[in-house]
Amino acid sequence: MILRVAERVVRSALIGYAAGSVWLRYKGPSWLDRIARRDPKARDLSAIHQKNADQIYRTATRLRGLLIKMCQVIGTRSDVFPPAYVKTLSQAHDRLPPREFEEIRCVVEEDLGKPLDAVFSEFETRPVAAASLAQVHRARLLDGREVAVKVQYPDIEHIVKTDLSSVRRICRIYERFDPQPMELLPLLDEMNQHLALELDFCREVESGDRIRKLFEDNPAVVIPEFYKEWCTGRVITMEFVSGIKVTDIEALDEAGIDHRRVVQGLMGIYTRKIMAFGFFQADPHPGNIFIQPGPRFVLVDFGLAKELPEGFGLGLFELMFSMMTFNDQSMIRAFDELGFETKTGDKSTYVEIARRMIDRSESRRFEGEFTEGMTDELFEAIRENPIVQVPIDFVLVARAFALLSGIAHTLGHRANVLESMAPGATQLRS
Amino acid sequence: MSLDAQTPVGDPLPEGPPKDAPIEFSEAQLLAEPEFDEPLIAGGVRCHGGFIDGEYVSPRTLVRMPAIDAWQSRLRLEGPGVVDISREFMPPHYPSLEQAKLLLRAGVQKPITRSLTMISIVEGFGAMIRDVPVPDLRAAIKEDLAGTALSHLTAGLFEAHARDEAGHRDQGGHKQMWEAARDLAFDNPRVPGDVLARLMQGRGRNRRPPLFPTLPEKVEGLIATMANVMVIEIFADDVFSWGEALLGDPEVSAAAEAASRMVSYIRADERPHVEYLRTALSEVRCRTLLTIDGGEIPGREVVDAILAQQLRGIASSRPREQREALHEEIRADIAEMRLSSELMRKFTALDDGWTFPRSEDDPIEIALS
Repeated sequence: MILRVAERVVRSALIGYAAGSVWLRYKGPSWLDRIARRDPKARDLSAIHQKNADQIYRTATRLRGLLIKMCQVIGTRSDVFPPAYVKTLSQAHDRLPPREFEEIRCVVEEDLGKPLDAVFSEFETRPVAAASLAQVHRARLLDGREVAVKVQYPDIEHIVKTDLSSVRRICRIYERFDPQPMELLPLLDEMNQHLALELDFCREVESGDRIRKLFEDNPAVVIPEFYKEWCTGRVITMEFVSGIKVTDIEALDEAGIDHRRVVQGLMGIYTRKIMAFGFFQADPHPGNIFIQPGPRFVLVDFGLAKELPEGFGLGLFELMFSMMTFNDQSMIRAFDELGFETKTGDKSTYVEIARRMIDRSESRRFEGEFTEGMTDELFEAIRENPIVQVPIDFVLVARAFALLSGIAHTLGHRANVLESMAPGATQLRS
Repeated sequence: MSLDAQTPVGDPLPEGPPKDAPIEFSEAQLLAEPEFDEPLIAGGVRCHGGFIDGEYVSPRTLVRMPAIDAWQSRLRLEGPGVVDISREFMPPHYPSLEQAKLLLRAGVQKPITRSLTMISIVEGFGAMIRDVPVPDLRAAIKEDLAGTALSHLTAGLFEAHARDEAGHRDQGGHKQMWEAARDLAFDNPRVPGDVLARLMQGRGRNRRPPLFPTLPEKVEGLIATMANVMVIEIFADDVFSWGEALLGDPEVSAAAEAASRMVSYIRADERPHVEYLRTALSEVRCRTLLTIDGGEIPGREVVDAILAQQLRGIASSRPREQREALHEEIRADIAEMRLSSELMRKFTALDDGWTFPRSEDDPIEIALS
């Protein structure tokens, strides 16, 4: 108990220190400018942004838990944060040093209500992957089936709650002292929601089952089977499916797998999940996607599976379709349908954003590709027109597409989104 | 290279083009608009095309249509004619006009709204034609290509086609026009949430292997794409008849005249698409294709085989699969209704049971006109 309190105090102090430093780096020069009668808005803040982003990143990688997740969220919000933050904090991947095996064994035995060897004939003590909330071990059930066991860290819920309340307190103080605060509390609420989803392993199992069912007509999509009798709120036991990490170029080449087909196939799967099913993994980072010859796509980790509101998929389809067919009027209607809002109700902002995107597309003859550059440009256009309110679902989807574009970039190909959205045209017109 | 100097392996292509009609055009010319008296506005959306002396005139046809006529005249004067598809191969739209009316009279609007929305989306995807990889045809075809539709595919024809289908800049295209027709007829109906799920269903079918492995992949790919789009465009005529009649029926349509007229405008706009594709394929047909191993294949052999394969695919197995899937959808849509089994019985009784008029082994002859 005493240890927990001490840990809590140390974490809160470190978070508070980092937050205070960040705030002072902005406010100090601004006060000096006022004294010297210079316009504080004229100051170039890019160096300060970078320093602050670096400090947040360092603190997060030291404290892990919620802060890593916070970095990941900020790293995707190029509509809100300056590029230095987005670039630096998006590096906060879920690749972290693992926890001691004894801690993991305790969770598994406590949750399954049996000693480890009463369920598994083998259980590798070294994890195959370790992330901010859980780690994965390879094991074998008593009946011989090879499995992957995902185990949540024993104290993670407590750490997340502690950090969340520290960060929330800091945000409130910041809002009190800053006359024009950046709206950070909604971001925290969003993160809180996501963490609740990710910490609920029962929901993750349900989401994986649902995605497997949705793709039952496509043998190229492989979702490992879950062994429900050995799944709990903190432990997931699933079929061990091998595959090559999607960004492991050498291994893909050795297996003779065509990168272009990987990129296009992956985009097709996500387009269908998002636009057709309205249910998708919001976190398609390379560690969650493995490739088998064919190519077949092994998808894992459904912690951040997200249900989109009805009509959202069609709205998004219209937005992307109109952007890729250079139709600005349709793009403007799609902004409306998706729930974008302007404070004044004036639609001219959409017109400006739409024209900018269309001009970019047309002048570069992008042939249906949706690249990282386009996502950046769209959010840059939105950030430069701050009256626009971006629906959070759109941000999540854009993040997923940006991650996919990143994979495509690593593999040296571009995905043609238009093609990935296209139906078998001939099936319909005839 | 003069055509006369060559000995075409395909059908003969005699002397040069008629002297009086221009046959070379710039992209700007092929995209040029007639001067409209007033624009077409549908459902509050500015669409392409417009009116001259009260008559609807299709977009980008100021030069494009006369150009296509000139290329076709040249083909007809000098060669074996222009390829065509016999209407006997055309699968009827499903649900049929009578079936659709039966559903609408019974208050079942969802399948028709879904069908119209899917048509609009598929029309929009016609814009993908601008992204079709076009190889250097001068290196792939033995004879001269000057003054042909083939030499204008990437110089305006594909781009005009794409703009017609998906709209461009501030103008709506066929996608938006079908949506407008739907919304006029059914008073802005709620679009079923499963439209995209159904459209993207069963994708990832295996690509067909090449019919002519010695041809450069992109050359066969281009011919196959043009043949595919041409067959679809020709078959779409039945969809237009269906749409005009259904949406034009005041018993089931809230704005019969306006909705039906909208479909008729789309139908008119499709004519240049069908005609330039027929022309380009016919031009390949009467030329000689060069293979990667230094050989030659008559264009006629390639075009006819690809067209026959497309026809079998588009007109035989797919309509059957599509009809079965639609039947199930409609059954699900009306399942909750009172007397649903009676409605389904009447619906099924109106099925004309159309089947493809050739067996697997029967040859498919390509018509010329």
